[in-house]
Parts: sequence; structure tokens; C-alpha cells
Amino acid sequence: MEKDPKRVITADQVFQFSSSASLEKLTGHKAHNLAELFGLIQSCPDSSIFYHTFSAFRILREVQVPYTNGFAMWISESVNDEALAEKLASIDLTEHNTIASLRGRILETIEAHKKENPETFHRTATKPFYLLDVIRIVYLTDKFAYDLRSFRDLLHTISVDSVYFHFIESRLYTQLESDDFSRWIEESLNLGELSQQIRAIDINVYTLEELREKIVKTIDEFLENTEG
Amino acid sequence: MTIPSLSDYREVVGRNIVEELYILASHVGHRSIKMINSTAVGGGVAEMLHRIVPLLNELGVKANWEVIKGGDDFFDITKAFHNALQGKEESFQEEVFGTYLSYNEMNFRATDFEEDLIVVHDPQPAALIHWNKHRKNKWVWRCHIDMSHPNPQVWEFLRPFVEQYDAAIFSSPLFSPELTIPQYRFYPAIDPLADKNRELDDAYVNGVMAKYGIPRDKPIVAQISRYDPWKDPVGVIQAFKMARKHVDCRLLLVGDKAADDPEAEEILAKVRETVGDHREIHIVFLTTSIPTEINAFQRASDVILQKSLREGFALTVSEALWKFRPVIGSDVGGIPAQIIHGYTGMLVHSVEGASLQIRRLLNQPELARKLGKNGHKRVRDEFLITKILKRYLLLLLALDQADQNTIFLT
Repeated sequence: MEKDPKRVITADQVFQFSSSASLEKLTGHKAHNLAELFGLIQSCPDSSIFYHTFSAFRILREVQVPYTNGFAMWISESVNDEALAEKLASIDLTEHNTIASLRGRILETIEAHKKENPETFHRTATKPFYLLDVIRIVYLTDKFAYDLRSFRDLLHTISVDSVYFHFIESRLYTQLESDDFSRWIEESLNLGELSQQIRAIDINVYTLEELREKIVKTIDEFLENTEG
Repeated sequence: MTIPSLSDYREVVGRNIVEELYILASHVGHRSIKMINSTAVGGGVAEMLHRIVPLLNELGVKANWEVIKGGDDFFDITKAFHNALQGKEESFQEEVFGTYLSYNEMNFRATDFEEDLIVVHDPQPAALIHWNKHRKNKWVWRCHIDMSHPNPQVWEFLRPFVEQYDAAIFSSPLFSPELTIPQYRFYPAIDPLADKNRELDDAYVNGVMAKYGIPRDKPIVAQISRYDPWKDPVGVIQAFKMARKHVDCRLLLVGDKAADDPEAEEILAKVRETVGDHREIHIVFLTTSIPTEINAFQRASDVILQKSLREGFALTVSEALWKFRPVIGSDVGGIPAQIIHGYTGMLVHSVEGASLQIRRLLNQPELARKLGKNGHKRVRDEFLITKILKRYLLLLLALDQADQNTIFLT
């Protein structure tokens, strides 16, 4: 069945696109230096970590800010510690399918940096960091893919929130290491090679619109090769 | 122009954005919402409610809007409260609070509160909740003003009422005081189909510039904002004069003044004095501003400034960004929420900084284009009226499950 984009799938294998949205909450908690930020990251709810990492990525990626992470943005702009900002911004969200693991990685990164640069830890920031929290609302859309071609055609019609949800955020709910798109292509369409190509797309170099186009292009090339 | 319906927004914000609003609304079902504020016309809140309420109804949410009533004595008091909550030092006599409460009680007795969600806007009607002890519905206080440094006397009077609400909404973490109730962040927003923001023909834009005698022979740098010392029009002129030594351009200052603002004449005189006989500086003073003309001024500009010394949210920035203009804004109030320095605009802290960025953006059109394009995306994602609709739908869905961090709608 490998390399058959027209493969017939069963009803439970149909891909229904979802999307997600955020209701942002103010917590009243602030940090005025890196030491205070470290304390907030240690003690805040998972949903706050989510907001300043996953949600920030969704918001900042679109306007091509290099630091697509709220902690890194603040450290760059208000603490002027570019090295730490770079280290935090380079944490790949796709490597974390739990907030606990992501939080651990952020704390380790800051602690390691502190050992090398203890003097910056208590430097007063030019502006405080405001800790936010978020309620995530995940919902199904009315778009269904039955095969690779309908999947490809629907990619043009879904929102960037839906692209973001399936390609980046959903691994927090599935606790799996791959995105929904490549997993469905592998498991339901049995197209392992295409699945690998989509999984390998680096989310850190594309805006979400570009990511959508990149996935479509990858599928188009695959279809061209297999359908002639 | 006819009032736009939700389907009209598909072309400007994206078809799928509107589709997802309908999906969320289908989960809200027939829940109802009442908006309450203190004025039907004038001001950003009323302007927004005129659009939000019909659009929510179009989505199937039963939304209505009531305006509280009061005599001149009540509105004099609430205006003073408004200024005090934004930090003005003033002392109030005890009877002032009594008058405020008696009008709130009168309005409470005259109003039904049967809806699932009651959203009370700003301080004027904030005490309505006090007489509704056995309510079964949810009440939320939406505060549109900067409460970061409230007058203690007024705030200590209002706080017990505010803390009876189920939640409060502020425009920014910078503007919120400490409270015992949950707080949500709703950014203010612009309406892309309003006269102030909709697409205009080039001919109309050219006509407006001709009407006010502004030549289009050189790049135009503009600040389009009320004549008010906090908007720093004098600083804008100084920055322009410094930049003008290096780059040939015109400055356009457009603004009106608040009707009851005695400082406006003073600042206008100072503006004229600073301009002197400079032929490349154009001052437009509007007694009544026409939204399509403001729109035209923004679209005719090559660079837009908002060089405020103190700000609320400054939606003038979003208006300019929506029109793909590169914006130079001061790093104050809500401006940094809209401008990410170097990516969706330029943030500055001084006259010199503003001058440097004027030179930079006029000499680097590629950078100016990139900022305008990214700025437009930022506004599309966060500062459009459709986002406010989404936030109200999410609020209706989340208030019943406020302890949940993730809600799966099936």
C-alpha cells in the first residue's frame, strides 16, 4: 500500500481538522530581574508556561521576531542578556510533549547560564515581566480529509490557528512526539516517506503561513512523483 | 454606507476566521449577554458596542446593550472618578459617593438582569452589582481605563463593588490594579470596515490632501492625534526639524481637541510658535474630525508617528499599522503591545530617537515596507474587532468552567 495517495480509508481514519483559541488571564505576578523570573517559572501553573512559550510562538512567529518565546523576548529587551535570550529562544517546542519537560528545560537553561554569568541575575530590568496565564479552548471544525488530495486542498482553507494547533500544540494533548499531520499521513494513509518529509519541516524558520505552504508543496511534489 | 454584516468581514480578516467564530458561537448556543455602559454616543466604548452587539447577535448570541441614566451631577462625579482612577490627585466629599450610589441603585431598579452574562463597562455603572445579591448569572467588569495608579480614596470606595464581580477585564497588565477576582486581558480593537479604516480610492485620498493644501511632492511624515501636551506635538516638530537636515520631507500634524480642554489652545499656540514659518510643516486643526479624512491622511503618509509622553492604549497605532504604514511610537502605555521594536514598528524614547528613525525609515524603504507588512499582520491577529468577538465567545464558554486550563468542545 506504500505510495498510494488514493488509498481508501475507513470512517474512523478520516482526518477532522481542529483549531484552538486562547483567553488570556492576568495573574498580577511580576518579575523585575532574572532571579525573580526564575522563581516565577518554578512556581507558576503549566498554563502560564504554555502562554509564554507555545502561545508566544503562535503570536511572534507571524511577525518574524527571532525570539519566539515570551521569556526570551523580555530578557532580550529588558534585561539585555542576549546570550540567555538566544539560549531560551532556541529551545525547540516540538521536542516537548509535556509542559513539565519544557519547564525543566527552561529552568536548566537559566541555571546553567547563571553559573557562567552570575552578575546578570540580579540586574534590574528596564521593564517588569508580567506573568500571564491562559485558558485554551480546543474545538473541531467542519473540515474533513478523506485522502491525501482532499487533505492537501483543505490545508488552504483552514486558519493558521488550525495549522498551529495540529503541527505544534496538539502534541501536548496526544503526548506523542510527532505532529498530527505527519502521524495521520503515516498511520491512516500509510505514506511513511511523505510523513517523514513533513515531520522534518523546521517550524523555527517559517511563519505559519509559510509552514502551510511548505506542507502543501511537499505534498504536491509527492503527488507529482507518484501520480506522474 | 450600510452597516457591515459579519460576512463583509470575511474578505478583510479571512474567511476561515469568520467560519471559526460561527463554530465557537454554535457552542455558546443561545446564551445571552447584556452590555451596560454610560453613554450611547461619543467615545471609543460606545463606538465599539455599536458594532459588537449586532455582530454577536448575528452569531446567534442574544446580545443587548443598555445605557444607564443620570443627571448632570452624576456625570460630573463619574468624570471626576474617571480622572482620579487614572491617577489625578483629588479629594472627594462623602456626599459625592452617596450621589454616585443613589444613581446606581436607581438604574439597578429600572433594569432587568436576566441574561447569562452581564458586562458592565467602566466605573460609572460599577456599583450596579451591589443590589443583585442573589444572582445566578455571571457578572464581569470591563475596565477600559488605566488603573495602574488609581486615586486611593476613589479606588478604596469602588474596590468592594468590583470584587463582587466574577471577573474583571483590562486592556493590559500595565493597567490593572490588584484584585481578588480573576482578571482577563482583552486588547482594544479597531474596526477594519469603519470609515476610519476601510479601503479608500486614491482619488479620494488625493482630494483630501488637495483640500487641505498639502503637496504630495515629498515623503510625508505625520502625527494624527489630538492636540494635547501628552501627545507631544512639539517633540514631533523638533524631531522632524532634526531629520529634515538629512532627508527632504514634509511634516503633517492633524488633530482635534477635546471640547472641554482649556490646554488645547495653549498647546496649539506652542505648536505654531515651534513651527515658525517652516514651509514643510502643515498644521491641520479640525473642530470636527471626519473619519474618512483621518483615514486619507493616514494613507497619504509615508511614516506615522505617535510620539506620546503618556498614553492609554493608543489605537491610532493600530489604525496606521492596519494601513501598512511604518510607525514610530513612544515606548509608553499600550504602544509596545502593538509595536515590537524592529519588527512591527520602531519604539523610541526621545526626540533624538524619533528623528533618527524618521531618517532611517525614509532612507530604507525596504525596512519601512517590512515593518508595515508585519504591523498589518500583528493588527490582523490581535487588534481587530473580530478578535473582540472571539474573546467574548471564549469568555461565555469559559466562565462556567473557570477552573479548567483547557476546554475541549465536542
